[in-house]
Amino acid sequence: MSDSQGDGKLELKQASKDVKESENVAEKYSAMTVTKNSEMGIGDIAGVPAAFTPVAGHKPVKKQIQFADDKQEFSRFPTKTGRRSLSRSISQSSTDSQGSAASYTDSSDDETSPRDKTQANSKGNSDFCVKNIKQGEFGRREIEIAEQDMSSLISLRKRAQGEKPLAGAKIVGCTHITAQTAVLIETLVALGAQCRWTACNIYSTQNEVAAALSEAGVAVFAWKGESEDDFWWCIDRCVNMEGWQPNMILDDGGDLTHWVYKKYPNVFKKIRGIVEESVTGVHRLYQLSKACQLCVPAMNVNDSVTKQKFDNLYCCRESILDGLKRTTDVMFGGKQVVVCGYGEVGKGCCAALKALGSIVCITEIDPICALQACMDGFRVVKLNEVIRQVDVVITCTGNKNVVTREQLDRMKNGCIVCNMGHSNTEIDVASLRTPELTWERVRSQVDHVIWPDGKRVVLLAEGRLLNLSCSTVPTFVLSITATTQALALIELYNAPEGRYKQDVYLLPKKMDEYVASLHLPTFDAHLTELSDEQAKYLGLNKNGPFKPNYYRY
Amino acid sequence: MSVQVVAAKMAEVELKDINSKSLPAAMPVVQKQEEKSVVKSQTAVPSTSPAVSAAAKVAAAPEEPTLPTPSPNLMKMPQASVLKRTEPQHNGGEAFINPDGTVTEAPKTVKKQIQFADQKQEFNKRTTKIGRRSLSRSISQSSTDSYSSAASYTDSSDDETSPRDKQQKNSKGNGDFCIKNIKQADFGRREIEIAEQAARPACAEMPALMALRKRAQGEKPLAGAKIVGCTHITAQTAVLMETLAALGAQCRWAACNIYSTQNEVAAALAEGGFAVFAWKGESEDDFWWCIDRCVNVEGWQPNMILDDGGDLTHWIYKKYPNMFKKIKGIVEESVTGVHRLYQLSKAGKLCVPAMNVNDSVTKQKFDNLYCCRESILDGLKRTTDVMFGGKQVVVCGYGEVGKGCSAALKAMGSIVYVTEIDPICALQACMDGFRLVKLNEVIRQVDIVITCTGNKNVVVREYLDRMKNGCIVCNMGHSNTEIDVASLRTPELTWERVRSQVDHVIWPDGKRIVLLAEGRLLNLSCSTVPTFVLSITATTQALALIELYNAPEGRYKQDVYLLPKKMDEYVASLHLPTFDAHLTELTDEQAKYLGLNKNGPFKPNYYRY
Repeated sequence: MSDSQGDGKLELKQASKDVKESENVAEKYSAMTVTKNSEMGIGDIAGVPAAFTPVAGHKPVKKQIQFADDKQEFSRFPTKTGRRSLSRSISQSSTDSQGSAASYTDSSDDETSPRDKTQANSKGNSDFCVKNIKQGEFGRREIEIAEQDMSSLISLRKRAQGEKPLAGAKIVGCTHITAQTAVLIETLVALGAQCRWTACNIYSTQNEVAAALSEAGVAVFAWKGESEDDFWWCIDRCVNMEGWQPNMILDDGGDLTHWVYKKYPNVFKKIRGIVEESVTGVHRLYQLSKACQLCVPAMNVNDSVTKQKFDNLYCCRESILDGLKRTTDVMFGGKQVVVCGYGEVGKGCCAALKALGSIVCITEIDPICALQACMDGFRVVKLNEVIRQVDVVITCTGNKNVVTREQLDRMKNGCIVCNMGHSNTEIDVASLRTPELTWERVRSQVDHVIWPDGKRVVLLAEGRLLNLSCSTVPTFVLSITATTQALALIELYNAPEGRYKQDVYLLPKKMDEYVASLHLPTFDAHLTELSDEQAKYLGLNKNGPFKPNYYRY
Repeated sequence: MSVQVVAAKMAEVELKDINSKSLPAAMPVVQKQEEKSVVKSQTAVPSTSPAVSAAAKVAAAPEEPTLPTPSPNLMKMPQASVLKRTEPQHNGGEAFINPDGTVTEAPKTVKKQIQFADQKQEFNKRTTKIGRRSLSRSISQSSTDSYSSAASYTDSSDDETSPRDKQQKNSKGNGDFCIKNIKQADFGRREIEIAEQAARPACAEMPALMALRKRAQGEKPLAGAKIVGCTHITAQTAVLMETLAALGAQCRWAACNIYSTQNEVAAALAEGGFAVFAWKGESEDDFWWCIDRCVNVEGWQPNMILDDGGDLTHWIYKKYPNMFKKIKGIVEESVTGVHRLYQLSKAGKLCVPAMNVNDSVTKQKFDNLYCCRESILDGLKRTTDVMFGGKQVVVCGYGEVGKGCSAALKAMGSIVYVTEIDPICALQACMDGFRLVKLNEVIRQVDIVITCTGNKNVVVREYLDRMKNGCIVCNMGHSNTEIDVASLRTPELTWERVRSQVDHVIWPDGKRIVLLAEGRLLNLSCSTVPTFVLSITATTQALALIELYNAPEGRYKQDVYLLPKKMDEYVASLHLPTFDAHLTELTDEQAKYLGLNKNGPFKPNYYRY
């Protein structure tokens, strides 16, 4: 036990070193570990059929898991310390859900690096680099399935196809390459843009989707399982092209921006704007802007109203139930639950649990949110007051050590502990790795921690994010993100000279509203239109924006 | 706008005359009169006042043709009249007050007078609305409303002498006040004590201010502050004033509304040594006289202003501009007043910092979401006794008010539809499980129509024609224009008043529509504002005063500020004990991890809650 701890620490050091060496890799690693974890979970089930075997016998597996955790924790760290974000970027989670869905080609046919292969698509074009161009048909099917759930992008295509708002746009993109992204890319192409694409994560690429895109003529440089070196090579191939200079950047994590900034600063002269999706990337842009080194306008789509609501409130409202059910099969009615934190995530969790008949208590540090909890009918307590009696503990504070060993000691038998927040630090899991406690892995993502007196605490996903580890991100949520990105690109590309200076902007309210309106048909929702008279009375444009910027929704 | 005024008034006359069948003869005459008065006032008073004076004149015309000409003050101070004319709704059936301040007891005219009062309120509200489309509803006016009902100790006044002509002294021999009757102080004291403590069952009242008193009394954060205030003078305000005094401030107070003063509370305050200049039923002239007495006193200059509606600020600005040199800041509560401050600031004429407490997070949430969530049920129950379960309801607008209404109705088992113009709010409605429709798609099948858009003509005659028999129509929004009530005042429709605030409008085929409060705000007309909500407001005001008074030089420039997040959080935290809520504290380690101060502020400014 102590051995594995020691190893963990070692790994931990290495991981942090990595982070220091190349901050850029941070995001990648974290995403990577997520993917790895889920794979490992599956491996666990297969490789350890006797789930109740003593932990000691399977040291290697455990060590690896820990290793992944630690790295994830540390790679996340720069993001956290840099800027306390109130949002969770879906960027990482999207890796996860897609990674699991797409396994056509995991057991690779050959071991040659795609870099060494010469491939051409059916039209003889070979300006791409993917694992195997022949998988294009599989990928096309994937993309078509995704299109069905992403009707907003399809309707955007239809609405804007006539005017081609992106005609002449040359977009380099660096995002996860999944079926959903493919729908986005093809939408951009349909709107008139030329696209070159690379992956923002070395593990998240769906090879067959990349093949399908290449087959369709988009220059894609990505495959699943790139090396560090491959990663930068792909980005470079994307940007560095004879006779083609990008004028727009779509980034997720800031790696592409960083690369262009370092290697090809001249490219920025032609660039009209950067669209950035992730928390990390936005943070980097703000830093650049602060240092007055940002030389083009950038759009922060991560903090748009619609995206935020879906990433946090709506997504977590569903994934808390899904995550708990999948892992523990718990029945919610009448259960006493304490939710730590009443931000957007907390609000979502509480609403869902209340709806299923749970008795929900809240802990909160912010008096305004605490008052909201009171008015929504939840008891606001300190964790210590209820810890002895609750059946489920859910953390969503973004803070660290919210559930400490002392509190874990006092929980009742069978209490479920899980984390829905941003960081993996909310539950002090490390404090449970002591000799007197026995860990028992009952199934993937579920550990029983057993006290000497026989009390068991059910720890989910080892304190990592429950919704990433044990649930999925619906395509509808990814559709919101993709639509927001597309509209941000259109806005930046078509903005008249001078509207955007060399700074980081939020998506204009009108575009934000447009994202929402494109998703309304899914609900068969019929939006009312203002009459001319009413618009005049309210002093509004009939087509929006409908609210002042400070409106809180 | 003025055209609408006429239209609305015409309709009312019509209604009254339906019984006597003298409609055709009466109509043209009245109409002429009204048009004249409207035109006249339009030429005399630009900007927002025509509605007000027109309303006053028009409303009064049928019963007193010799209407006293409005005082010059009215012309100068268009907005002032707005606030002062908010008349109590619940008069207890004892006395009714004419615009000139006289009190009449005339059971026969009860109906007319109620209508009259209502309409005035409507028009007063209108002016406020036009100035600035606000996303909030100020509780300022509503507070008048609910409290006037509670305080009727002294309405049937003992004497008719104006308080201005009376010499009164409190038990300590101090005569620096002007109120109706100092002898009522004991009654008032009781009122105040009720407000202070949780004396009324199921009503936690104002614990936050009491807690603030206790917490801050040692340090006296307002020591040396000389505050002039102009707010509704009710028991709740009294608690606020006494809190300010306990924190070290000297206070002089006037009423911001000529009808809302609780005389006995004013007496209790005067007895307690406060310089209060206010009584119920002041005249226009009295109103300004009171404000002037408040401000203009030998050897005392205010250094803080607490205003509700902006009248006091305006008066000082016009009459005593020099006073601003000593003033550290203005705290303004109402939408109107804030709007005026922003205008001043825009024109570069604001020479002191001002704090907009109306738009603070906590206050906004309580004024809109939480308050309306309860008052929609209360208002509908009181007026119609409807059972909500299984009823089909359409809520127009899904802002804070709409969210509150929808949540409450859903919880009661109603089937709720939502209409919305803003796609973001529309998507929120979808995700909260409400069907988003256009009004005309569901209008035939719904049992209740609730408007909360802040817009006009959301429910038009065409929709009203298509509603099913017994459909209830009411308005929870800001303005009184959401339901096109004027369009219902046509000869073929019969109006039947079934009880106060409830009209049946009957179509020729016998179909009835239940119209509540004649399309005015249901929550003001048919429900009350809980003291807890007023407590949020008062606490916010007190903290804004403390913040402005103690701010280091240079923190606030000559501009209008929102309450700092930390203070906003403090308001919330003072109200948590009511719920027996136990706030968790950050450990040092956690605070460091999050990069926060342990005591807040906990969220960045853009956080949406």
